This record gives sequence, structure tokens and C-alpha cells, in this order.
Amino acid sequence: MSATHEPITGKYVYVPYGGYEYRVFYEEAGEGIPLVCLHTAGTDSREWRHQLADPDINKNFRVIAFDLPRHGKSIPPVGFEREEYRLTAKFYSEFVMAFCEALELEKPVIMGSSMGGNICLHLALNFEERVRALIAIEACDYSPGWYISWLEHPHVHGGEACATSVFGLMAPQSPEDYRWETWWYYSQGGPGVFKGDLHFYSVDHDFRELNDKITGNVPIYFMTGVYDFACTPEMTQQTADKVKGSECIIMEEIGHFPMCENPETFKKYLMPVLEKILAAEREPTKA
Amino acid sequence: MAEFDSRWMNAWQDVVNNDATLSLIGRYFTTDFLIGFGEKEYRVSVREGRIERITDNLSIETPWSFALRAPRESWERFAQKVPPPMYNDVWAMAHPLHGRLKMDGDVKVMWQNIRALTWMLARMREVPDHAVVEERATRV
Repeated sequence: MSATHEPITGKYVYVPYGGYEYRVFYEEAGEGIPLVCLHTAGTDSREWRHQLADPDINKNFRVIAFDLPRHGKSIPPVGFEREEYRLTAKFYSEFVMAFCEALELEKPVIMGSSMGGNICLHLALNFEERVRALIAIEACDYSPGWYISWLEHPHVHGGEACATSVFGLMAPQSPEDYRWETWWYYSQGGPGVFKGDLHFYSVDHDFRELNDKITGNVPIYFMTGVYDFACTPEMTQQTADKVKGSECIIMEEIGHFPMCENPETFKKYLMPVLEKILAAEREPTKA
Repeated sequence: MAEFDSRWMNAWQDVVNNDATLSLIGRYFTTDFLIGFGEKEYRVSVREGRIERITDNLSIETPWSFALRAPRESWERFAQKVPPPMYNDVWAMAHPLHGRLKMDGDVKVMWQNIRALTWMLARMREVPDHAVVEERATRV
């Protein structure tokens, strides 16, 4: 009798950035074009377990999901106890590229959700020569309203409050077990980490004056679920209308966490996007 | 369609008080909060996750900790078996982007009990239909 294993392996890599070596945990599965997956605010790479393990995806892509410092199994930098954590667009975008460099990934596809979707805009603007395509899930140019003190207040249970604050971002049609699994991930962030991430999501990320500066040289696929009240389909569509080289896909019966709240429904929308990226690979003459 | 009258509120109270999960996750949820469906307001007295009493006999001397007030139409959508986008959650309705529900008062108490409160409000979707509710005695 042999045990059932998933095809995912986890590793730790040291990522040099800003004079510090961050010990970063990542999971990977498959072979092919590197597909780097970015988790949402206040949680970690477990959100991507379905896509990592999906043979339809990992047969053509080397799927990689990493935990940002302070998240999941990536420990915070020394001295974190003396700082207020506030994620910025600069650190986030540069750190994603530093991670890709540490793993020597050649022109990866980057797919992120929520803050991981919003950062795709910054990657398109600043690192277009180093990425192959961007899949910006639940992303828009400006997403205010989430930088609130209750998410870190010591009189409030951080796990319960952070997790419950995002529960309604998921669609009622999404399977209850997956919705509660997502709630569970959110219940486990360190104190102030969710709010610190939301500093990027709702404060530092204001791309409204920058949309038209993206060249369109790198394809960007925006994908947003109709139950997302933080980044509504209208907010994504209005952003996509201004971003050259982008496509806007609105997903029915799903919310802010497509990859983990309803992987089956998400897959129906994701596979055609991955097919387009593969097709572009087969026709490299497009100059 | 949810009526939010006395009978409906009592039916919701019954659903809440028969819910096995709330007795676990609501163990520390004890407060009096105000809930407003348009002009119609009630004070809901919660003790350890159970609704002890609902009253619409309110005066300026009726104490409450926090208030959730929204137009009836917002609550009607919220209470549907499958609520539509932007109405499936009180924080969704209250979020600054949407403003379809107003959170007032000592909202710290609300955030301290947000999981049990969210679960309690979601039980509105299990209130039996109007005909069944009509048969029940009113207690409010």
C-alpha cells in the first residue's frame, strides 16, 4: 500500500534584497514555462494548492507559489518587532523580481490575486522586459477602503476579524468547504500583517495616473469575479479600458479568491488564458 | 420576501437559537445591538450567542452598543437564499465603496464578535417563508 501524495514540493530559498537575505518558502510542481503565483494580502501560498496540483496546468507550466516575508513559512526579517509593517509597491514589485532572479526563472508568467493582481500593474510598468505575461486577478488601478485599524487592534481577535472580514468577498455559489478553508488561511496571519499588506492594497497602490504609461508589450489578462466587493467588475473593466495590451475577463458566480474559493469555476476561465500564453510561445515570430 | 415584521424577527430568533454552531462560536457574544430595516428598528439582546429578546419598544433610554442600519431593499437582498453580488455580507454592504449599510456606535464590540454576528445574520436566509412565519405567535 502506498500513500497518496500531491505532486507539490516545498523548499526554502535565500532571496537577497536591499542588503538582507530573506529566507523564503515556496512550493512548486510541474515543468515548462515558469508560472509564479502571488498570494493575497495577509495569507500565504496555500491559496494556490489546486493550481499547483492540477495536471492540466502543471504539464505545461512550472507552477511556483511563494510566501512573502512575514507570511506563511517565510519568516520576517530580523528586527520586525521594532517596526510597523507597511507593504509598499516598491518593495513588493522589486521583491517579486528578486525571487524570480534567485530561482533563475527566465521570463516567468506572473499570476497574482487581489494585492497580487494589483502588483501586476507595477510589474508591467517597471519590469516588462523581464516577464512573459501577467494574469491580474481581482485587480484594478485603485482599491481604497481596507486600511482599517480593527484588523490589528489588540482588543479584537486578529484571526477571527481578518478572516471574517474577507468571508463575504466570496460568492455564495462557491463550495462551502473551500470558502471555510480560505477563512482558515486568513485566520493565521501574524499580528498586523494583513493590515500592513492593505497599506499597499488600499493606500500605496494608486495607479490611476499611470494606467496609460504601460506600453502593452506584455499581455495582461485581468480576471475579476462578480462577487468581489473590494474590486468590482466595473473597477477592473475601467482599469483594463485604459491599459494597453490587456484583456478583461469577468467571471460569474465567483468572488475575490477564485483560485481557492472555487478552483473548478476558476479553471474554466483560466485555461483559455494559459492556452493563449502557450499559443504565443508556439508563434514566436510576432516582433 | 422577508417582511422584517415582528413575526419574521421571531422566526429569525428561533432559527438563531436552534443553531448548534452559534452556541460554540458565540460563547462570548453578549451585547445589545440595534438593527434597522429602513424606518423600522429593533434592539436585539444577545447573551452568549443566543438571542434572548428582540424589542421594537425603543426610546432614547434604550441602550445598545452598535447599530446596523440599512434600507429595507438592502436587507431584502441580503436575506435572499442566494444573495446577489454586493449584498451577501454586512461588511460588503457597509464598505466605503458601496455604503448600502451604516455601522454606528461602538463598532469595536461588533468587530470583537464579527464571526458570530456574521453567522447570526446569515441565518436570516433560513427563515421560513411568509406563510409559515404567519402561523407563529408574535413575541416582539
